[in-house]
Amino acid sequence: MSSGPSVGKLSVHGLDAWYGKRQVLYDIDLDIPDKGVTAIIGPSGCGKSTFLRCLNRLHEETPGGRVAGSIQLDGEEIRDQNEVLVRCRVGMVFQRPSPFPNLSIYENVAAGLRLLGIRKRDELDAGVLDSLRKAGLWEEVKDDVDAPATGLSGGQQQRLCIARALAVGPEVLLLDEPCSALDPIATTKVEHLIHELKENYTVVIVTHNLAQATRVADHTAFFYLGKLVEFGTTETIFHHPAEKLTENYVTGLFG
Amino acid sequence: MPVALAVAVFLSELAPTRARFGLTTVVDLLAAIPSVVYGFWAVLILVPLMAHTVEPGIQHATGAVGPFSGHAGGLDVLTAGIVLAVMILPTISAVSREALSAVSRQQREAAMSLGATRWEATRLAVLGPAMSGILGAILLGLGRALGETIAVTLVVGNNNQVPTSLFSPGQTISSLIASDLNSAVAQGPLEFSALVELGLVLLLLTIAVNVVARLMIWRIRSGEAGGARHRRKHSRASLLRFAPALDSGVANPRGVEPEWRRAALARLPERIRRRHSVFLLIAGLCFLATVLAIVPLASILYTAVDLGGGAVVRPTFYTETQPSACNPGALVTCPIGGVGPQIEGTLILLGLAAAIALPVGILIGIYLAEYGRNRLGPGVSFVTDVMTGIPSILLGTFVLVVFLRYYSDAASSALAGGVALSVLMLPLIVRTTEEALKTVPVAVRESALALGFPRHRVTLRVAVGTARNAIVTGALLAAARAGGETAALLLTTGGFQYWPLGLTHPIGALPLVIFEAGLSGYANWETDAWGATLLLLGIMLIISLSTRLLLRRAPSNE
Repeated sequence: MSSGPSVGKLSVHGLDAWYGKRQVLYDIDLDIPDKGVTAIIGPSGCGKSTFLRCLNRLHEETPGGRVAGSIQLDGEEIRDQNEVLVRCRVGMVFQRPSPFPNLSIYENVAAGLRLLGIRKRDELDAGVLDSLRKAGLWEEVKDDVDAPATGLSGGQQQRLCIARALAVGPEVLLLDEPCSALDPIATTKVEHLIHELKENYTVVIVTHNLAQATRVADHTAFFYLGKLVEFGTTETIFHHPAEKLTENYVTGLFG
Repeated sequence: MPVALAVAVFLSELAPTRARFGLTTVVDLLAAIPSVVYGFWAVLILVPLMAHTVEPGIQHATGAVGPFSGHAGGLDVLTAGIVLAVMILPTISAVSREALSAVSRQQREAAMSLGATRWEATRLAVLGPAMSGILGAILLGLGRALGETIAVTLVVGNNNQVPTSLFSPGQTISSLIASDLNSAVAQGPLEFSALVELGLVLLLLTIAVNVVARLMIWRIRSGEAGGARHRRKHSRASLLRFAPALDSGVANPRGVEPEWRRAALARLPERIRRRHSVFLLIAGLCFLATVLAIVPLASILYTAVDLGGGAVVRPTFYTETQPSACNPGALVTCPIGGVGPQIEGTLILLGLAAAIALPVGILIGIYLAEYGRNRLGPGVSFVTDVMTGIPSILLGTFVLVVFLRYYSDAASSALAGGVALSVLMLPLIVRTTEEALKTVPVAVRESALALGFPRHRVTLRVAVGTARNAIVTGALLAAARAGGETAALLLTTGGFQYWPLGLTHPIGALPLVIFEAGLSGYANWETDAWGATLLLLGIMLIISLSTRLLLRRAPSNE
């Protein structure tokens, strides 16, 4: 914890989470710094995804999901706020691309804007263009934004999902293994995109791919069996870890 | 129909998780109630209610003109319509619920991550993909209503004239066949042929509805997949005109944040309150709809337990034959009997039907799922679907005609009844087998093939093994449907009151007791009928529960 910044965009204190009776997160304390990319690594089943889902209050929507402890966004407790408002500020993209299959590319991106209450054609158009460009998808889809979203390739769909999340105008973007269903070329594109996004957004990414963490993340947190083992700059975690467990994991001795 | 949809949405999306299992079971049970029970319930509860309260009320309010004119007697088109609505509601909602829950969790979560309330997530991410399934459900329900015989026969009033108002008695093709076919056999070839021809008309009608339904679903699916129907609304140029404005705003640390978006964010808390009330409103409406759907079930159960409870707990109910009909009077004590022969009859009929339908149905299902990728496959599939939609009364007529022609000694017999039921069960078994096999992941099959299993062993061991639970469920559901079937049996079994004599002799069955004894006007018979109702309901409940538990235990692939 020593190398972590003292106050971050999201600061988590004493977070516990359960699925039914099974506790999956134990007493997590973590400050996620503003801007930049924070990676969360750890073996399967260590609670990485659950942790991410706590950050936009999605975990409590899961059947049996329960959360205790404190999560502050810009110093304000998210559980005291409306969950819809929280999710507008903290966007999320999932492991498998999940565009709404019955909507066009345009309508997928506009969905979040419409939820915000934006109705005017001009405003929707501008928002869609803006998000598609930020997600690096505009050049590929500009000829027909009314095509069905399901006609895109997997990598394009994933970037469409990122564009869809960006359209709402979030401050934090949660990525839950966004590349694990993608091929290497699509992965490179998404990683490139994450690089650009970190200028303006706080990105938290869960990844199984250690190399990916070293490529994209400024900070890295290592989870093991529901506990946070170590958090620091990516450089520290991968090259000078304080904990033996972390060292074993990042050098590939287990996991 | 809107009520049924609301029920489905409520059950799969909005209801608290804990309440879901119970409520879903209840609605499934409602879908499994045999139509004769509905009809019986309608005559005793709904008809008086309509005759004394609802219809005079409507007439009073409207001045009894046009569609509301005439004598309000309860046994009429309107009542029949309401019964049909009650009956197809659970069917529609059960099938739509399947379609809704087939949409992956991630879709909902994606919508919620955009800041959608639970209802908005449903609307955005779930209703669209599930639309073809819902449409199919609605058409399935309508198909069922079209061919529904028994319940309608009991309440529609059976008047052979074009109805002039909602309150006049009417008749449907199927109810006419049900009430007149048996006597027509005796009357002579002309009457008989006329009725069979009517059956042909109904058959063509149902086939037409089914074909239209298939085509609609097919068109929606292909529209989704190919995107051939999408309209271009946004040209590249129309979007690009905003590029300069956006480019000049890059200085902002959170990226481009034009004025309007900031304004929208500022208005958000208030909007969220309003959207939350929309969510509550819709959840409330859906909840109301669910309650509305459960009312008939509660009423049926209450009446059955109230009037038939005494019969079911009496051991002789299961062993004795029906007594001679009588009404208790001052000096008369009525003999109390039982429905033992009918219970045995139902078991024999089901056994016969299962012996015919199970092997054939499962084999066809395997064929369709595993080897059906040729020209024959889709055709068989289509025929099966259409068969599912054929009213049971027509199946009964068909079997009767075949038997009359080739084996007329046994035209009213256990054998004919069993054959009729097996024809009824067959498409259901084929369908569920096929569906179950298709959900076995390709990877599982391929890994078995990769181990060097020959194709047929992969099919038999791996695929059937994995899908076994679902196949058993399908068979049970088919048996439940056959067990409650009345119309087909009415024509083929002869409705026998005594202990079965043999396969080629007439035989009784539980639903027939309800149909014939229930409205006989004799108190002891009616008690027996209610007892039979309760027994049937109990069997349906057990089947429904056990299938659900069976499916729940099966490992899910998610």
